[in-house]
Amino acid sequence: MRALLILIVAVNLCGQEQTRNPHTSRADIAAGARTFRSHCSPCHGMNGEGGRGPNLASGRFYHGSSDLDLLNNIANGIPGTEMPGLFYSSDRLWQVVAYIRSLNVTAGPRPKGNIARGQKLYQSNGCPQCHRIKGEGGRLGPDLTQIGESRSPAYLRRALIDPNADIPKRYWVVKCRDASGSGYEGFLMNEDTYTVQFIDMHEQLHSFEKAKLTDYKVEKISKMPSFQNVLSDSQLDDLVAFLSSLRTPRGLQ
Amino acid sequence: MKALVLSLVAGLCMTCQAPSQVTPERLLNAAHDPGNWLTYSGGYQSWRYSSLEQVRRDNVQNLKVKWVYQMPTTHIVETTPLVVDGVMYVSEPPSNVVALDAATGRPYWRYHRVLPKKINVCCGEVNRGVAVLGDRVFVGTVDAHLVSLDAKTGAVLWDVKVAESRTGHAITVAPLAVKDMIVCGISGGEYGIRGFLDAYDALTGKRRWRFWSVPAPGQPGSETWTGNSWKTGGGPTWVTGSYDAAQNLVIWGTGNPSPDWNGDSRPGDNLYTDSAIALDADSGKLKWYFQFVPHDTHDWDAVQVPVLVDDEWHGQPRKLVYWAHRNGFYYVLDRETGKFLFGKPFATQTWAKGLDGAGRPITRPNIDPSAEGTYLWPGVQGATNWYSPSYSPLTKLFYLAVWENRSVYRKGEQEYTAGNRYIGSVPLIDLPEEPGTGAVRALNPETGACVWEYKLHTKPWAGVLSTAGQLVFGGSDEGYFFALNAETGKEVWRQNLGGVIRANPMTYLSEGKQVVAIAAGSAIFTFQLDK
Repeated sequence: MRALLILIVAVNLCGQEQTRNPHTSRADIAAGARTFRSHCSPCHGMNGEGGRGPNLASGRFYHGSSDLDLLNNIANGIPGTEMPGLFYSSDRLWQVVAYIRSLNVTAGPRPKGNIARGQKLYQSNGCPQCHRIKGEGGRLGPDLTQIGESRSPAYLRRALIDPNADIPKRYWVVKCRDASGSGYEGFLMNEDTYTVQFIDMHEQLHSFEKAKLTDYKVEKISKMPSFQNVLSDSQLDDLVAFLSSLRTPRGLQ
Repeated sequence: MKALVLSLVAGLCMTCQAPSQVTPERLLNAAHDPGNWLTYSGGYQSWRYSSLEQVRRDNVQNLKVKWVYQMPTTHIVETTPLVVDGVMYVSEPPSNVVALDAATGRPYWRYHRVLPKKINVCCGEVNRGVAVLGDRVFVGTVDAHLVSLDAKTGAVLWDVKVAESRTGHAITVAPLAVKDMIVCGISGGEYGIRGFLDAYDALTGKRRWRFWSVPAPGQPGSETWTGNSWKTGGGPTWVTGSYDAAQNLVIWGTGNPSPDWNGDSRPGDNLYTDSAIALDADSGKLKWYFQFVPHDTHDWDAVQVPVLVDDEWHGQPRKLVYWAHRNGFYYVLDRETGKFLFGKPFATQTWAKGLDGAGRPITRPNIDPSAEGTYLWPGVQGATNWYSPSYSPLTKLFYLAVWENRSVYRKGEQEYTAGNRYIGSVPLIDLPEEPGTGAVRALNPETGACVWEYKLHTKPWAGVLSTAGQLVFGGSDEGYFFALNAETGKEVWRQNLGGVIRANPMTYLSEGKQVVAIAAGSAIFTFQLDK
């Protein structure tokens, strides 16, 4: 504890920007992963994917994104949130910072496909009908403007081949019929004991009392088609390269 | 002039001789004083039942918001307000207290606890309420102090350190005033504390007794621990218990052994974790105990409110404890001996074939957490948890909020370091495709049979209140506060409060009218009939 205090004082004297994590070896990352799994993953997920606490694998941090910010947040917790502090030595806390940095999906090697060819495939295969990039395209599917920051190339490729592999709850499909007999189909936005809110396939918002609906069901089946037999392997590489390139320009974090 | 002096002296004498506001006798009689709400559970028997009957099934639809008090906090609000003679005492998380005019919600005073920068509480910096005794209000703090406040001004009268907060000790429980003492538990089951239950002199703050829920070597029960595991054995006491005045017994629940999900370091039954304990109120000596989960490796704390009922049991009058446990079983215990009388699941459970004649679970094979993950019902948060059940003497039903879900129990390594989590794993509370569901259920307390069920789409963290108006009030994480027909479970009123409800409802009289109150989001909401 005393070591940590001295370190923080020293760092503050030196200025924050210059502080770099002194523990970034593979062994440090592995040690940080162990601490993370014991202390952080109940809220942030086994792989930092988020849960009760924010996603730490996106490379975006809301309480400061420098190494020192991360260290301070882990050491002291974040006031006004449920994030507690850890009572470990600074060496061990730096290892956790190293592990969190290693989660950043943008930190890996670039995917091998061609971005420009991927962009053409994106346009010619109907993706913009449902997906939106920087305000262009449909609004039914996930917005892809920053998808390269929050999803790894491997995840993106799997989503193109097997869209049912992982369907976030927001994209579960509601089917129902109202009192007049009109049928609806849409993506679940919210559901509680008594009501449901969804966006239908014509991009209209609906909110119903479930007691007044008939044939109400929620299906965990993706509406996105699989591209397994539509695109070749190299075309999939290109499309993944394009999607992975969709990131926030630096400086806006 | 002389007349003035005389009257001043008389006035002073009246002040110095005025009986204190909340006497021990008044607390003993709390169940018959429904205009006030004097203890966490509305009386020592902890029925969370009110004999008020102004709000009934045939007029509850006229229940409207009376006032709202918004707390300046971003923490989860788990408090049950107390009401004494028109003043409502509310704890605000992390560890503040506010006194409100119970008729308008306007504050008289506010106690702000200045906390250390670093607080380690496993599951949020919360507080479940205060105790009142004499002219004082008592609150536990997340930095593990117990504080006595003047009920009229909020001034600090004493502030004692219960335990060291840097080692993961904290207080989130509402203390219980018993006789001239304040009984107070401790949190820290995820930090390898050695748990205890304390009693403090209400006037001076001096500790009267401490019962260690994990015995030291040589003491009875120490044979259920191995090596030094007792030093970090857990057994916290973070939910308010009950008081059996006739037997002078404080009856309280204890939490999980530490580390939670890896029991390798602590072979044995790990007494008195996951147990009901009955302590002599004057000495703190153990009269009896009943352990619900020997050698727990699933974090199934016995931190439920013990419901004390005197009723016939198989034709004979008997002092009973009703207890719906986090492990999915409902139990009936003999309150004089702690003897197990009956047990039956009240929710889906896959870990035990049943209970033997002494109430010990007959476990199924392979239920321990494992590296690859063990799938079990109920989940990590249990089939019920700390939120309060209720017992109505009119329906003779036991009401509780229930979870139907399962978790993946994973086992990991863990070394103890002071002040850090000591849990031995990372369980997956919800499976991604299985968010689980919830319900409010009414049990026949003698048979454990489910008499009715009110289904919820999500898992609730709100307790229930029953009233002589034949209503059961409950809430949901979705933010709905609702009233059910106590006999049938049919919904008779509902209001969206727009924030999660993770607290227990209570009721009181304001200017002769019944008010129902509950915390939702970061506010206290009160309701009253508008005609």
